[in-house]
Amino acid sequence: MFAKLARDRFAWLVLPAGILILAVFAYPVFWLLVRSFSDPSWGLQNYETVFAKVIYLKVLWNTVAIAGATTIGALLLGFPMAYSMVHAPPLMRKLLVFVVLIPFWTSILVRTFAWMVLLQPNGLLNDMLIGIGFIETPAKFMFNRTGVLIGMIQIMLPFMVFPLFSVMTRIDHAYVQAAANLGATPVKGFLRVYLPLCLPGIVTGSMLVFIISLGYFITPALLGGRKDVMIAQLIQQQISDFGNWGLSSALAVVLLIGTGLIFAVVHKVFKVGPDARF
Amino acid sequence: MKKTKLTNVHEAKDQISADGGLSRRALLQSAGALGFLGATGSLTSLAFAEDLKGREMAFASWGGSYQEAQKVAYCDPFSEATGVEVIQDGPMNGAKLRAMVEAGDPVWDVVDVTDIFLFANAQDGLFEKIDTSIVDTSRVDPKFVHEYGIGCIVWSYNVGYNTDAFPGDDHPKNWADVFDLKKYPGTRTLRDRVYPTLEQALLADGVSPDALYPLDVDRAFAKLDTIKDDVIWWTSNSQSQQLFTDGAAACGLILNGRAYDVVKNGGPVNISWDQNIQSVDYLSIPKGAKNADVAQHFMNYMTEAQNQAKMANIIAYSPVNPDAFPMIDEAVKPWLSTNPDNAAKGFVINSDYWRENLTPLTERWNEWKLS
Repeated sequence: MFAKLARDRFAWLVLPAGILILAVFAYPVFWLLVRSFSDPSWGLQNYETVFAKVIYLKVLWNTVAIAGATTIGALLLGFPMAYSMVHAPPLMRKLLVFVVLIPFWTSILVRTFAWMVLLQPNGLLNDMLIGIGFIETPAKFMFNRTGVLIGMIQIMLPFMVFPLFSVMTRIDHAYVQAAANLGATPVKGFLRVYLPLCLPGIVTGSMLVFIISLGYFITPALLGGRKDVMIAQLIQQQISDFGNWGLSSALAVVLLIGTGLIFAVVHKVFKVGPDARF
Repeated sequence: MKKTKLTNVHEAKDQISADGGLSRRALLQSAGALGFLGATGSLTSLAFAEDLKGREMAFASWGGSYQEAQKVAYCDPFSEATGVEVIQDGPMNGAKLRAMVEAGDPVWDVVDVTDIFLFANAQDGLFEKIDTSIVDTSRVDPKFVHEYGIGCIVWSYNVGYNTDAFPGDDHPKNWADVFDLKKYPGTRTLRDRVYPTLEQALLADGVSPDALYPLDVDRAFAKLDTIKDDVIWWTSNSQSQQLFTDGAAACGLILNGRAYDVVKNGGPVNISWDQNIQSVDYLSIPKGAKNADVAQHFMNYMTEAQNQAKMANIIAYSPVNPDAFPMIDEAVKPWLSTNPDNAAKGFVINSDYWRENLTPLTERWNEWKLS
């Protein structure tokens, strides 16, 4: 690959991006890697802590579970959304794209606080539900896993919708019509023809949402309860309260390797990755 | 009286700019002739006004209504008196501060730190020594003077409650009440941090303040088990204010100054002083700060009685300079931790204990939260 790149006379175009990535990504990651083995002294002690203490594995599991549930939720909401965007008349489509994009431009902190206003015990949602007599006492929409997922799914939705949208616009509708012509019921046509064609978008969107969710921090801290601790919160606590770079780096490295493994497996199974057709 | 003092400072400053050639020595003499200036402590800031003009200094604190109050009480008057431009930054973050100092290029010149953070990091050379030839430490209660920092405020963790949930006299008054879900039903809010949560639990379980340390950790966690599913754990002070104001929490833990801030804005909150747990915030200068000299003068200015009083009048955090009390509004005095009545009902958190046990107990705390 490098030999080919060297022969290519446009190879220098990669240089600025390459240097940037080296400086702001590769170097810090390398530094983290080193510190996870060297801080406070050389050895595996930080990794021993991560794998020997129940707390870190529990939090790692929490992180994967929350990111997984967010991905499924975003897919269930994002798929119909993307589908209607593709099949809407041009003006409506523009409006829908806009609707998905607006929250994307707002800071995550602001959006999380907006959810707090809506979801709290005497917030808008509970007032409304009590007002119409649907419930009598305020439902617990936040300070628990429900709150974390509501907030995260909404924040992650654009990362699911746009890859799906981009794949769906390129699907020739004639395939589905051909399936119908050949006697497939709408459900069968959808499941056997349309859905497989969407797969690259589904995989790309899911990977994006899952991987970004793994590093989440603000939303679980504000909307979650006692048990909704994600790995990024522990890393922050270790660095900011204790200056424990060694353990934080080990946690970050475990997260990075875990993410890489998941990415590799998906790539192998589906033969697609976030780069495919995005 | 206060007004006269300030006017004179300005007059003297005008004189400097008017004839330009006035030497510091001449200025000191004239200030000495004015007599009372020296006694009020304005002398130092005045004498160096010439040197500091045009300089700048970055001040990092904890944001929100607290930093806003510090800006008005310490920074703005300092700028006005000396011509130093004070840049507000933050929020204070231990890791950021440590990284800055390690890199040898701190962008902050004065940082507001907790007592535990100061004590834990002073030996590692994270801070500049306080220059007592510039900072007049004699006017500060010696309890709050450290080699590497000067106390700026005393504050306390108090039992707080929503006055809509408990309108009458029958409201939670101490930590035992906060842990009693039958007597005072409703959601609680406590700080998502191992201290002072363990202290609260032990006090609620009947341990007396003088028998608290070293903490009986197992007993504290067992007591916390009894309310763990009825607690919202707040991570920032602004969040605690919000939870009490909205009524999302009926009672729990709030800092005295934050409660005062809510009440001043008409929020339905009140606090009890029984078993209040006091703590101190320090101002310190990061090692290698570019404007450390300016920072030393700022520290001195901060401890002046009138500035300390101004701070207390805005946010009800207690002064470290006892001379400030006569200048504090009567309405604010009941809210102050170092007010003798309130101080008698509480105790100061043991920073030495926490410096040594914070890391292992935080790990235990995290485990408990997930259990």
